[in-house]
Amino acid sequence: MKKNKNNEEKLFQVIDDDPRLVDAVEVEKTIDTDIEKLFTVVGTSDEKIEKLDATPYSYWSMTFKYLFKNPFVIVCLVILGLLIFFTIFGPLMRNYPLLELNGAAYGNTEYNWKEVIPPNAEHWFGVFYPGGNGLMLGGDLWWLVWKGSQLSLILGVVVALIDTIVGIVVGSLWGYFKWLDPILIEFRNFVNNLPTLLLDILLMQILKPYMKQFSFVIIVFLLTALGWVGLAGFIRNQIIIIRNREYNIASQTLGSSSKAMITHNLLPYLVSVIITVVSTAIPEAISAEVGLAYFGLSFEVQYNQITLGQILTNIVKTTDWMQYPYLLIAPMVVMAPLTICFFYLGLALADATDPKTHR
Amino acid sequence: MATFIIGYALIFLVVAFIVFSVLVKKKVLFGHTIAMQRIFANPLLHYSIRRILSSLISIALAMLVTFFLIRIAKSPEQMCSRFNDIHTPPEVIALKCQSFKESMGLSGSILEQLVRFFYSVIPFPKLICNTSFDLVTIDGVTTYKGFISDCRTIIFDLGRIYDLNGVDNGTLVTDYMLSRMGISFKIGIFAVILELALGYPFGILMAKYQNGWFDRIGKGYIMIIDAIPGVAYYYIWMALLCNLIKLPYVYEADNVLSYLPAIITMGVTGASGIGLWVRRYMVDEFNADYVKFARSKGLSENRIMTVHILRNAVVPLVRTFPSAVIGALMGSYYLENMYAINGIGRALIIANDSNNVWLIQGLILFTAFLSVISYLLGDIVTALVDPRISFTN
Repeated sequence: MKKNKNNEEKLFQVIDDDPRLVDAVEVEKTIDTDIEKLFTVVGTSDEKIEKLDATPYSYWSMTFKYLFKNPFVIVCLVILGLLIFFTIFGPLMRNYPLLELNGAAYGNTEYNWKEVIPPNAEHWFGVFYPGGNGLMLGGDLWWLVWKGSQLSLILGVVVALIDTIVGIVVGSLWGYFKWLDPILIEFRNFVNNLPTLLLDILLMQILKPYMKQFSFVIIVFLLTALGWVGLAGFIRNQIIIIRNREYNIASQTLGSSSKAMITHNLLPYLVSVIITVVSTAIPEAISAEVGLAYFGLSFEVQYNQITLGQILTNIVKTTDWMQYPYLLIAPMVVMAPLTICFFYLGLALADATDPKTHR
Repeated sequence: MATFIIGYALIFLVVAFIVFSVLVKKKVLFGHTIAMQRIFANPLLHYSIRRILSSLISIALAMLVTFFLIRIAKSPEQMCSRFNDIHTPPEVIALKCQSFKESMGLSGSILEQLVRFFYSVIPFPKLICNTSFDLVTIDGVTTYKGFISDCRTIIFDLGRIYDLNGVDNGTLVTDYMLSRMGISFKIGIFAVILELALGYPFGILMAKYQNGWFDRIGKGYIMIIDAIPGVAYYYIWMALLCNLIKLPYVYEADNVLSYLPAIITMGVTGASGIGLWVRRYMVDEFNADYVKFARSKGLSENRIMTVHILRNAVVPLVRTFPSAVIGALMGSYYLENMYAINGIGRALIIANDSNNVWLIQGLILFTAFLSVISYLLGDIVTALVDPRISFTN
């Protein structure tokens, strides 16, 4: 107790003796007496008002700066660039259109499709050789694989776009309006309880007669019919987490409309989450098509529509690929880097678009 | 007769149990008996009852929607096309078609069929006979005549398999599914064990050496599994297991070695998911106060890791145990097709190819029911493990 008192006294003494304090008092006096001596009035300038002295912060430039710091991102971008280049120009380099070749194969002895043709100078990925029969029989794998990657990529992008747009719209409404919650939760439970594959099989059976004209629309429909539900649920959870934050309550009390609340308060907060979802949705859609194709629910080769899923499915129909591994390697060489790079870019974007990492 | 008595007794017991526990909870009965209150007014019990009753509605809805979808996708007329034959006169084809519809239970209007379906699905004892119809010629006139055989009292009926030349013709769908479920489960349960045995050490090691080389490789592996299409990934494993190690690639019931490829593929895939979540939850716990406290008391890092952190990190993961075990019953569509395993996953494809509408309907009911049960069990197990969770309002 005594010690404390001593200390206090010491403290006060120090403050009393502090020369800075004296200075401050003098300065105060000066300010009181003549302000004009200390400052010169320069007038106002609109340009100078707008100018910031702090280093300017731009969300997107920081995002890209952060993104390109990661060497794997550069690698992925290069690989993706190569894949897209070959997807566009690959089929032109070795042009062996499937149906023409197939027609020739049956009558023409030049093309003996029972012969195994591993990769060589003429056929860079070898020639398709299943033991059974099929429309891809005797097709040049280089041409097939890049042709398949064209349709798979387009399909992936379209499905991902539709899924994310529907998912975000429904998810944000679902999260924001409380009365929608029980209805949509019941719907989600309903969807979760159903075997999706079976639903796809049944829908495909119903839509089969229209496959010739509307195959693309039908496949997109199959992939998006229930694909958005999981995404909407995810966005809904995110929105519920931030819905009752102070800034939203303040905004609501000031009379913001629901539309403004969702588009100005809630969704901008979720940009990082949404971008991740969009970029991982593309590889997921490509994978989903492969899954459908495995059960024969994808495009039909006879209409000259080839996807990566169909190529893989046709190859693994028999066990020939065990004997001639080049058959399996050819579609894998495209499919694996394509999905992995998209997926990795998605994860890297998730990190980069999160403002907490911008330091 | 015995089944009748047992069936009604069971139904009575279940209803009585529910009514009784509700009454006890409302304190109409045994309001002050602590032991009775503890057993029958348990919030967990009432939560389960509420969940099951409310999920019955969503299951019924699922059945209704799929019922109409199946009728649109597989109309009886379209299925009759298998009888089309140039050598058979059209009236005989029509008769064959009619007999086929009768024996499949597809005759009558769609509403009639729906009522019949719900009647057979609602669990109470009923007499079910196998009615097969055959063409008979009496006095030069061909008609079809029904033969009734194999009458049984069953509580829960899902129709019969229709398989013209196969061995399964006339088998009850429930029996058929149960036998296939056994095969799926035999593979699946070992896969679950492998999954847990690999996934936990994987996740713990990744968390322990966070950002080290093991962690990086592990994260890369998980990302690859997530990214590349499942079919492609399964075939990479098939190439490794059946091409390099020469394991058999066709399932045989007697050959245990032929189980291995499916078990290993399933287990390794599942382990990556478990590893990811174990790592994530453990890393979240690293900076918790109790960990700092344990560390400041001088406990070894290993002990903190395996006893303190793991125990807390596992709580959210316990929820997935029941669905993993129940998932083993349902099998895997891809793997069962790849390795020709006659499990439930493959039954769906077979049912569709052979137009066995009741089998499809049964599989949907089965999947919906099991997924409801697995979610419910997940909640219950989490509540039992984590004392912080309660089901009272």
